[in-house]
Amino acid sequence: MSIVSFVDFNEQNMSLQQAIEKSLSLIDFQFNKKVQKVAIKPNMCYYWDYSTGETTDPRFVSAIIDVVRNNLSPDVDISLVESDASAMKCKYAFRILGYEKMARDKKVNLINLTNDPAETVNAKVGNETRQFSVPKTVREADLFINVPKIKYMSSVKISCALKNIYGCNPLVKKYKYHKQLDETIVSLNKIMKPDLCIVDGIRVTGIKTLKLGLIMSSIDPVAIDAAASKIAGINPQSLDFLKLASKEGIGNITFTPKGEPLTHFKNLFPSKTRKSKTRDFIARIYLQHLVKK
Amino acid sequence: MEKVNVGIIGLGQMGKIHLNTCLQLEDANLIAVSDISKKELLKAKNAGIKHVYEQYPDLLKNPEIDAVIISLPTYLHEQAAVGAAEHGKHILLEKPLARNSSEAERIIAATKSNGVKLMIGYPLPFSKPFVDLRHEMERGTFGDVQIAIANHISTGPFLGYITENGIPKPVPSWWFDKNLTGGGALIDLGCHMVNFLRLCFGEVKSVHSFLGYRFNMDFEDSATCVLRFQNGTIATLNVGWFSRYHKVQVELYGTTDSISVSSKSSRSWFNYLKGIFVANKSPTFFNEIKYFVDCLISDIQPVPSGEDGFEDIKIIEEAYRNTL
Repeated sequence: MSIVSFVDFNEQNMSLQQAIEKSLSLIDFQFNKKVQKVAIKPNMCYYWDYSTGETTDPRFVSAIIDVVRNNLSPDVDISLVESDASAMKCKYAFRILGYEKMARDKKVNLINLTNDPAETVNAKVGNETRQFSVPKTVREADLFINVPKIKYMSSVKISCALKNIYGCNPLVKKYKYHKQLDETIVSLNKIMKPDLCIVDGIRVTGIKTLKLGLIMSSIDPVAIDAAASKIAGINPQSLDFLKLASKEGIGNITFTPKGEPLTHFKNLFPSKTRKSKTRDFIARIYLQHLVKK
Repeated sequence: MEKVNVGIIGLGQMGKIHLNTCLQLEDANLIAVSDISKKELLKAKNAGIKHVYEQYPDLLKNPEIDAVIISLPTYLHEQAAVGAAEHGKHILLEKPLARNSSEAERIIAATKSNGVKLMIGYPLPFSKPFVDLRHEMERGTFGDVQIAIANHISTGPFLGYITENGIPKPVPSWWFDKNLTGGGALIDLGCHMVNFLRLCFGEVKSVHSFLGYRFNMDFEDSATCVLRFQNGTIATLNVGWFSRYHKVQVELYGTTDSISVSSKSSRSWFNYLKGIFVANKSPTFFNEIKYFVDCLISDIQPVPSGEDGFEDIKIIEEAYRNTL
């Protein structure tokens, strides 16, 4: 069974770097000293500022960079990766979200995966095989770290570790996959499986944005998503993409929690109300209607 | 003129709203549209528009057209508006009038020398809560207004949009180029509020500003301006492109009473979904275009006029110069 750690981060008590170290020590994560290339995938969904809870805080990623360097070498090659999407251009997102400045300060690479040389790879999910492009930076990384957010999303109910890898698909017009979103998410995680997930749950997006102060780590993205969905008040067994990911051997829905109790974060999370559920239901039906058209 | 033959130049977000509005107006015949997108032109053709053009100069040559609504990126305003004036077309030009006062001056000169009317597309004077506010102010309900606060906060160009068929689209790249927009949130949103405040209080005596650069771009994503009006009113104007919600608010503090009026606010994605159903039937835009058409039929200069838009641009420029 996979281990998921829960750390309640309070900047009065410890630094972000210390909190991340603690989170990793709870899952007994050991850095492989042979690692030379590291790829870090934050969530840069659109141009939303980190304060909205929609995108990974560049300060969180900066602290991860410090942790990686402390445990490996100050000279380890680190790349922050994201790709263009239908309505977002990395060229602007890197700058607007503060990643351009942070990458310059920390002397790490900032890679738009859409422009990265890619190799076509087959991904078999169920009986169907799909082809995707795997960017060189992700493919050649010895250590691939997924740094997602926790947020509600009408199409898959919750977005966390597995959904964040969707952003490693270099194709710009990602909406083409919306009709088979569950299968696409699972396929991409099969061919670009992260070695480590560290969730920036300092601020989260439920029915509203809230400071949750959570840092959650695991080497298992399925376990991370199962924990995230429990925190958000969603039964992991009700999530099709999660069940499919588990069935395809990406990870386990059941997990062993370590650190703070999950219920502490669940009680704080801005969960859905009956009113917001109705609104989301209408939005989901309408979006499905549009996609079908 | 009994009915006005209208052409729309540019079928972007605003152009589509104007298209749907024109189709509802009894006194306007929407007979032509132009856009570089063949897909948009085909939709317009299917909606019953008689003439569709890929290049707007071809639309301007059509002698049947009395007036044009120009909904193009700001950097194309001068070229299109001067061209329209030279072809004798009356103009409703989306705000801001131009990127700077030099361009604005040339547009005004062209409309004057060709004897055509120019109105600037500011929706606020046609939005009911703000119409009511002005009405109450003119009745003297608030006494003399000493302090006014005008806020216009939105996502600005940082939110893509969902097309009618559910495909997310990025904001066009010109929005991220200061040379093409003329500036950031201050010119984009500030011109609305400067114009509305001028409608309320008359001419501005001085203006100073603070500009914010939260998003590390070379244009401001927020601005706070302090305006002193010749009538003594002091106004604070706050604009921003930094938010997930959209809110337009005006507060007046007078010697006898105060008031706060605002547009509805909600999370942007929901607004956008709602927009697909509702925006095309907005009473504000209906009132705006109807007023423009009525003015042409009655041979009256519409307001906000080109001169108003010009004055707004000059104040914005002054605010850019007087940063604190």
